[in-house]
Amino acid sequence: MATLAPQAPARARASRRSRHATLVAWGFAAPFLILFLVFMAGPIVASLMMSFTDLTTRDLQTPFNVNFVGFENYAELFADPRFVRSLLNTAVFVIVGVPLTMALALAVALALNTGIAKFRTVFRVGYYAPVVTSIVAIAIVWRFILQPDGLLNGFLGWFGIAGPGWLQSTTWALPSLILMAVWRNIGTLMVIFLAGLQGVPKEHHEAAMVDGANAFQRFGNITIPAMRPTLLFAAVITGIGFLQFFEEPFVMTRGGPLDATLSAAMYTFNQFGFGNYSYASAASYVLFLAIVALSLIQFRLLGKKD
Amino acid sequence: MSATTKDTAVSDAARDAASARSTSTGSPSRRRRRPRPRWWLYVVLTLGLVAMVMPFVWMLLGSFKTTAEIRQYPTNFWPIEPTIDNYTQLFGRLDFATFFTNSIIVAVFVTLGNIVFSSMVGYALAKLEFRGKKVLFVLVLGTLMVPGVVTFVPLFVLTANLGLVNSYPGMILPFLITPLGVFLMRQFMLSLPDDIIEAARIDGAGEWRTFLSVIMPLCGPAVATLTILTFLGSWNNFLWPLVVATSEDKYTLPVALALYSVGQNAAQYGLMMAGAVVVVVPVLLIFVVLQRYFVQGIALTGIK
Amino acid sequence: MVAAGAIVAAGAIMLTACGRGDGAAGGPESKGEIDDKPATGTVEIWAMGNEGEVLGELAAKFEEENPDVTIDVTAVPWESAHDRIATAIAGGETPDISMLGTTWVGEFAATGAFEPTPDGLVDEGDFFEGSWNTTVVDDVAYGVPWYVDTRVLYYRTDLAEAAGVEAPTTWEEYKTFAAALKSQGATSGVSLPPGGFDSWQYVAPLAWQQGGDILDSDGETFEFDSPEWQEAFEFYASFFEEGISEPVRLEGGEIEQKFISGEVGSFFSGPYHVSLLREQGGAEFADKFAVAMVPGADTRTSFTGGGNLAVFDDSENRDAAWKFVRWLSQPETQVQWYDISTDLPSVEAAWDDPVFADDPYLSVFGEQLADSKAPPAIPTWAQVSAIVDQELEKVTRGETNVEDALAAVQQQAESIGTGQ
Repeated sequence: MATLAPQAPARARASRRSRHATLVAWGFAAPFLILFLVFMAGPIVASLMMSFTDLTTRDLQTPFNVNFVGFENYAELFADPRFVRSLLNTAVFVIVGVPLTMALALAVALALNTGIAKFRTVFRVGYYAPVVTSIVAIAIVWRFILQPDGLLNGFLGWFGIAGPGWLQSTTWALPSLILMAVWRNIGTLMVIFLAGLQGVPKEHHEAAMVDGANAFQRFGNITIPAMRPTLLFAAVITGIGFLQFFEEPFVMTRGGPLDATLSAAMYTFNQFGFGNYSYASAASYVLFLAIVALSLIQFRLLGKKD
Repeated sequence: MSATTKDTAVSDAARDAASARSTSTGSPSRRRRRPRPRWWLYVVLTLGLVAMVMPFVWMLLGSFKTTAEIRQYPTNFWPIEPTIDNYTQLFGRLDFATFFTNSIIVAVFVTLGNIVFSSMVGYALAKLEFRGKKVLFVLVLGTLMVPGVVTFVPLFVLTANLGLVNSYPGMILPFLITPLGVFLMRQFMLSLPDDIIEAARIDGAGEWRTFLSVIMPLCGPAVATLTILTFLGSWNNFLWPLVVATSEDKYTLPVALALYSVGQNAAQYGLMMAGAVVVVVPVLLIFVVLQRYFVQGIALTGIK
Repeated sequence: MVAAGAIVAAGAIMLTACGRGDGAAGGPESKGEIDDKPATGTVEIWAMGNEGEVLGELAAKFEEENPDVTIDVTAVPWESAHDRIATAIAGGETPDISMLGTTWVGEFAATGAFEPTPDGLVDEGDFFEGSWNTTVVDDVAYGVPWYVDTRVLYYRTDLAEAAGVEAPTTWEEYKTFAAALKSQGATSGVSLPPGGFDSWQYVAPLAWQQGGDILDSDGETFEFDSPEWQEAFEFYASFFEEGISEPVRLEGGEIEQKFISGEVGSFFSGPYHVSLLREQGGAEFADKFAVAMVPGADTRTSFTGGGNLAVFDDSENRDAAWKFVRWLSQPETQVQWYDISTDLPSVEAAWDDPVFADDPYLSVFGEQLADSKAPPAIPTWAQVSAIVDQELEKVTRGETNVEDALAAVQQQAESIGTGQ
């Protein structure tokens, strides 16, 4: 609708342009959106609804003949000391594991990117190896390392330290698994950081060198700001991954000894196994909220104003 | 929004690059002053390397041992009587070609879909201004954060109702897009300077052309990363193919190999190690092929 | 889009879900008796692990006898097989027959997905009682037991001889026996898991041996607070307290190695360990170990598990499916099946075959099966048993006493319920 106001043509043009831009942008998003709505949004809504009912295995054939129970599942979760324990374990795991993995992966990526000139491919492939190694093989080898008479205690023995049975100890089992998870995840982040480092303009570094900035100053003032989006991405996905910490306790300890390594994801998995689908969904959404909270913190710390 | 500091040198170079539509992949300039190699760095990295590859090597060696030898405690590092029995058994007992083909079909389609769709949405989210952008991004992030296992049963019911059980589309479609891929592409594109897009617009290129001939050529490292991540994810995906593929001719490698983990006690470790090695090889190959993208200085700097 | 809309709409309906309607969870009815005519058509069957891999061989014989039938075997990995069956039921994508772990029957039968065993298909008296009971939920049998598994005592004959003890028959002898093996240099006279995953399978038989049980005879009430359970827990924990057993959980692979090296004097396990030990111990080890029935109190009850076969209610070829199931549970078929798979027969008559009767190891398993018991077929058993595992571990680690532990088990079991 063209009006006769003086500034109208300009505004109309602007809004036409913005409408056009919006159309183009949604054009870019369309294929994603269609698949997203069918295969992601649908099941997510359904499972969210499920968490407010009392659906268990017996209702699998008749999912609509269930009772609506409101927040009962959620209340029950927090009344279960094992679930609370699993949340605490997961929190410890995330708070220690995420920064550690990121720091080590960044150090490795920097070293491989600028620090050395030879054998880079060998190192890159080598550091990525744990990511592709089968969890079964990893579990066997790590058990061999962590056994009371295993490699680690043999090594400590040289220094006259009598190491514990790492996985049998309620104190040491979780730190052992954290170490294992950090080790397994360095490779993925290294790859992401190596890609991100390509986005750091080399001239900036060269200009700063001419200005006499040392390596640490250059790292703080040039590399980190340019890497911000990549760091944020890495922090968020590592946070999500670590909050869903599952494989290591599953193959190493089954959550034991005495729930010392029971993670929230493992608790959820067990509930699914028992056929308590609603209750397990509720546990998943509690975990979901924890992930959202963690990601918000990470966006606040690492993101620019988006 | 762009996280790159505006710098005239960069933008000029970028403009040159953009107007030249240079998509050539010359080797990165080797004339840059490299810092002198620090021997201590090599020592530290090598120690780390040993710690990283040990289980992998152990898996490889284990695939040449008899099951009895692997299960021995304490076990030997080197096989005492190396044997290729595990491999002959594996290829003999499994209809290997079928499972391998299935895995490849699923992984290739999933990876391609992810690259195409994630790049498109990522571009819109990183570089275009439009209504509903925030909502779209929050949706993407939100789905990324929902633990996968929770949607499992509804997703299967949906797949069954669409008549896709025991079909390739049923195995591929739900994974054709991943929020992770979108997020990755968006973050990477955020760090590309806006000027190159402006330059392309000034040259009269439309959105699609800008995207295809200016943006995508700069995304080599990100696409390589995405390829590795999604291929690996699809290749190792176990639970979904297991429930969707209801007959053995649709099984993927991990599902077929899991047939050998017979309970906790009677696992044939040697076979499992051989199977694991076979599963890992394609992924490692892809990694080795693509990892050179992580060292290619990209056209951002104009020095190509 | 449409599908997503439908799901959202379905979700909205769910909010106003009509509810379950109490009681009268009328499951499916059997669709009548099965005749003796040859089977026809196609039958899809899912079987796990090794069974899935070799069942085709046996099915070929059935196809010979019934020329118009095709048996379509799909091997399913054990891990997550449970999820696969659950999702198949939810999506209405079930095969005709599935093999089931005995402990899953209660849970899946509650969905109404199985057809009850038709009258006159098989004679329940032909099967080991403990195994038959794994098919029965609320007095209705679903499917038949296919093969069985039970635990016996594996012990080092040379150590026992050196210590001058024989295979124990009573609890007292058992304690003396294990202590004697320890005196011969074993770190664990008997290796027992100190709680944790599946340790209930070791402690429940101790309660059964005194006449105790998990559920009251009404099949509704848990009775973990009974004196029998108290005894069982105390006796089990005493092995750790008295230092007869190391409180270490041995994973597969470690246990046979430590048994061969003499660090473990005895342990409880199923039939597959016989061949494992022969394989790993070499020829000279073969006569250094033997198996015996588990020691006991009033009875010498052991734990039984195994695999059952169930036919799905929406099978399109139920007649042929049941005919195949019937054929699989015939004694001669079961003997052939042992030959192919080394699975032990669930039908007692099959044990008269010299293959079993004349084998010093297998015959012990046959004896043990006559006195073995399975946990109740209730949907919530997996969940309740996890509580037992947990509390048992607290006891063996000295974090709580037996009385409190069992009170906790009882209280949590009651709040979980039997799920029926």
